[in-house]
Amino acid sequence: MPDPIIRFENVTFSYAGTDEPALHDISLEIMPGEYVAILGLNGAGKTTLGLCVNGVVPTMLAGDLEGSVTVGGLDVADYPVREMAKLVGMVFDNPEFQMSQMSAEEEVALGLENAGTPYEDMKRIIPETLKLVGLEGFESRSPLGLSGGQQQRLAIAAVLAMHPKVLIMDEPTSNLDPIGKQEVFDMAAKLNRENGMTVIVIEHEVEVMARYADRVIVLDHGRIIMNGTPQEIFGRAEELATLGLRVPEAAAIAAILSARGLWKGPVPITTEPAVEAITELLGAKNG
Amino acid sequence: MSMQAALPVALIPGNSIIHRINPITKIVWVVGYIVLAFATQNIIILGVMAVFAFMLAPIAGITRPLLKGMLILVPIGSSLIALQIIAPAVEKPWTPAWELGGFVIYTDGLYYGLVLLGRIVASLIIALVMVMTTHPSDLFTSLAKLKMPYILNFMSSMTLQLIPVFQREFGIIMSAQKSRGMKGSGFAAVLPSFVPVFVGAIERVQQLAISLESRGFGSDGHKTSYRQVRARPLDWIIGVLGFVVLIGLSVISILKGLWNISALITFPGPFVAGLFFVCAAVFVGFLVLIAVFSFKK
Ligand SMILES: Nc1ncnc2c1ncn2[C@@H]1O[C@H](COP(=O)(O)OP(=O)(O)O)[C@@H](O)[C@H]1O
Ligand SMILES: [Mg+2]
Repeated sequence: MPDPIIRFENVTFSYAGTDEPALHDISLEIMPGEYVAILGLNGAGKTTLGLCVNGVVPTMLAGDLEGSVTVGGLDVADYPVREMAKLVGMVFDNPEFQMSQMSAEEEVALGLENAGTPYEDMKRIIPETLKLVGLEGFESRSPLGLSGGQQQRLAIAAVLAMHPKVLIMDEPTSNLDPIGKQEVFDMAAKLNRENGMTVIVIEHEVEVMARYADRVIVLDHGRIIMNGTPQEIFGRAEELATLGLRVPEAAAIAAILSARGLWKGPVPITTEPAVEAITELLGAKNG
Repeated sequence: MSMQAALPVALIPGNSIIHRINPITKIVWVVGYIVLAFATQNIIILGVMAVFAFMLAPIAGITRPLLKGMLILVPIGSSLIALQIIAPAVEKPWTPAWELGGFVIYTDGLYYGLVLLGRIVASLIIALVMVMTTHPSDLFTSLAKLKMPYILNFMSSMTLQLIPVFQREFGIIMSAQKSRGMKGSGFAAVLPSFVPVFVGAIERVQQLAISLESRGFGSDGHKTSYRQVRARPLDWIIGVLGFVVLIGLSVISILKGLWNISALITFPGPFVAGLFFVCAAVFVGFLVLIAVFSFKK
C-alpha cells in the first residue's frame, strides 16, 4: 500500500482575528490517485480545507494552526506556496479574480514560465490544455472579456497546464451550464484515471459527485462528520437532510420507498441502477 | 470590455512598420529621447524631435488617438508658458515686456518655458507612439530580457490589467448609486464610489496574489517566456542609429553648455504679451470646461 499523498493530523485552524475555528480537529488521509468530493454548507470550512493542502493556509492567510498537514511528505507550513505549486494545483472559486494576463494563452503560460518550462514544450502544452477545456480559438482573447464559464475553464487550464500531482477545484463549475459541468468533471475523471492525478473537488452538485468520486467527505462547522464512499454517504439521506444537504434524486427516491418498506436492495446513487430497480419493482407488483 | 475602450492610452492594434519594430529598439529611442530632451536647452533640437516623433503617427496609423493623448498638453503647456512669462525661472534682471499697474510680464522666461515645454512634448509624443504600437506583453517580455526585475515587471503589467477591472467596478457601483438617487456624474458622484471600489480592490488583489503564488509566481530559479520577441537586423540598425544620434547629440549639447541659444533669439514685447494672454485664456478656459463638465452634466 502506497503512502498517502495528503495527510491531515489533528488539524485545528482559526483565521487570525476569529474565535471560532474554521477547521476543527481534522484527521484525514488521501491516497495518490483518489478522486475525493468535499460536501458541506457555506461556511463549513471546505475552502479552508483546500487551502491547507496547497499551503495558502497558514503561509499566506495567517491564523492559528494546530496539528500538521503534509503533502507528498512536505509539511505545508514549512514551504512557501510557490514551492507547493510544483505539487498542488488549486483552482479557486472566483475565476475572475484569478486572471492577470493580457490573453488566455498567456494566462495558461504563466505557471509554465514560472516553472521554467522550455518554450518548445509550452508551444505544445498551451494549445493542448486550452483544447482540453474547450477554449481553442480563444488564445489571444483577453481573460477579462470572457464569459464566467469560459473564465472558469481558463482558470482550470491555467492550473492543469502545470501537470500538478494533486488538483483541487473549489466550486469549479458554479458558472457553467449542465453540459459544461459535465465536461469539467469528465476531464478531471480522465486525468484521474489516465494520469493518476489526485483530484479533490469541492462541489454542491451531488449528482455529479455520486457519479465520479471515489470518496465523499462531509464537513459541518469545521468538522468531518462523514467520510466514505458515495454509496455509504448518500445512503444516509435523512442524516444529510438534517444538515441541510441533498442526496442524488435516485438515492432520495430509494430512501422514501425504503421507508415505506418498498425498497430492499442497496441504495442507488445514480439514475441507471435506480431505474432498473424501480422497473423490477413495478414488474414484480404487476406480475 | 476591450483594453482600448478602457484605457485612455493603450495599444492601437496594427501591423505597420512601427508596430513591428522590436520593443527594445523602441525603448532605446524613448530613453534616448528623454536623455537628449533633458541634456539640451536648444529649442531647435527639441522642436525637431517633437516634429519627428509626431511624423511617426501617420505611418503607424495612430494620429487621432495620439492627438487625443496629447490633449493633456493643453493645460500643462498653457500654464507653463503663462507662468514662465510672469515669473521667469532665470536669474534677474528681467526685461519687462508689458505692464499694467503692478502687474509686469517679462520676455526672459519665454525661452526657458519653451525649452521645458519642448522637453515634455518630445518625450510625451515618443512615449505615446511606443505605448500605442507595442503589445504590453511584448514590452514586458523585452524588459525582462533587459534584466528588469521580474517582480517589478510583473507589477507594472498587472497594474495595466487591473485598470479595466476597476473601471468596470466603478461603473457598476456608480450606476447602483445613481439608481438610489445619487448624482451619477462628475467628481461629486465619483467620490463616494471610491470606498466600495477600494474595499473590493483589496480583496481582489489578495485573491490574485494567492492565485499567482499557487502557480509558482515569485519562485526563484530559471524562468522562461512564452512570448518570443524577434530582433531582426533592421531592429538593430534602427536601435543603434537612434542610440548614436540621440546620445551623440546629448553629449555635444552638454559639451556646449546645454547649447542654449536664447541669446540669438529675442522675442518682441507685444508678442510675449499676446502669448501670455492666449495661454492664460486657454488655461482658464480649460478649468472652466472641466468644472462645467463635472458639475452640470
Ligand atoms: N480569510 C478569512 N478570514 C477570516 N475568516 C475566514 C476567512 N475565510 C473564511 N473564513 C471563515 O472560516 C469559515 C469557513 O469558511 P470557508 O472555508 O470559506 O467555508 P466554505 O468554503 O465551506 O464555504 C467561515 O466561518 C468563514 O467565515
Ligand atoms: Mg468556499
